[in-house]
Amino acid sequence: MCAIAYYLEDEGIMTTGIALVRENAEVFLPPRLLWVSFPLGRPMGNPNDPEFQTRVLKAGLELLSAEAGPVLEDFPEDAEVADTTPPVCPVSFSRSTDTESWVGQLHRELELLKPWYELSLSRRARTTVGLLNESIEALIETIGNAADDPDQPTDLMYLKSAIEDTKAYYLEAMTAQPGEYNFVHLQQQLWDDTVLGSAMRHLAAHFQRIEKLQVFARVLEPRQALVTGTRHD
Amino acid sequence: MVRLTDLPEEEREHLLGKNLQPLGSTPWVEKKKALSEMRIALITTAGIHRRGDTNFGFGDGSYRPIAAADADQLVMSHVSVNYDRSGFVEDLNVVLPLDRLNELADAGVIGSTADLHYSFMGAGLTPEMYEEGARDVARHLKADEVDAVFLTPV
Repeated sequence: MCAIAYYLEDEGIMTTGIALVRENAEVFLPPRLLWVSFPLGRPMGNPNDPEFQTRVLKAGLELLSAEAGPVLEDFPEDAEVADTTPPVCPVSFSRSTDTESWVGQLHRELELLKPWYELSLSRRARTTVGLLNESIEALIETIGNAADDPDQPTDLMYLKSAIEDTKAYYLEAMTAQPGEYNFVHLQQQLWDDTVLGSAMRHLAAHFQRIEKLQVFARVLEPRQALVTGTRHD
Repeated sequence: MVRLTDLPEEEREHLLGKNLQPLGSTPWVEKKKALSEMRIALITTAGIHRRGDTNFGFGDGSYRPIAAADADQLVMSHVSVNYDRSGFVEDLNVVLPLDRLNELADAGVIGSTADLHYSFMGAGLTPEMYEEGARDVARHLKADEVDAVFLTPV
């Protein structure tokens, strides 16, 4: 992002914005940035908190009044995670320990999630699923078939998009009820408690064993899951 | 929190590995008008775009235009899995504060919002890989008479 600020300013467009990693901005020195202490993925703070988001946006825009730069200021507030009890996950995930195929297990799990995904659609009036123009059943089939036979020839970018679409479907279903969710808990639930999480780890472990595909393994499984995960298959 | 001191060592080293040396002395455009008269655009590196647009791929420094009317049609094809996406799932404004910007325009804090906003994918590319796209976006912004851009990473 720092590079984009550099080129835009070089073209005569004033720039300001958010820095999530202060150390990166300190080294690159873009014209104007506001450092915030928020988690990666949340540059404006928590969802559904318009007053807080507005304070962040105004603080960033006010840097446009600086007489000289580069300017790197700190936003004084943290984005507090609510300490109220989050809504209970609507689905009790259960992972099969028998010899059922990944495809079969994933389809059973999908059936549990479908009503909650529909509820999410109704509440949010939008979905973030749609990288591929495929049904959720077809996406599950793609992931399950790859997990059942990971040595088969696979279009890796298609598989990656199928996984991201399916993760979005899961996240929307798991958070269908209104309320404040702890995103760390959501991530742990997705990776540790679901068949999808197990299938993704199974695939990442497979690609990790193939030297030329290790880069691909790193875009399937988060670094923190590699470090802290407890249920590798 | 993204205070490096709060993170595990591996994560800390990874993020510090993204420190990139400056391309040159920091360019600086002098302010020519009050914020309340400025036309503002948003640019995110969250790798979001309209459903049906080409997904971002590995090493992709290109960009996608986003109109305010596209807000309910945005998907995220960023290749990284190392950041939270549940905020975006719940509220687009977490990564692209379109509603917040429109509210500031309505309140007269800024002059107006751009007709189009833009998305890149910030994913370990070298700075030079963004040059063509960024300079192209600059041309579009000038045609839209945009004065300043507000940037958001993920």
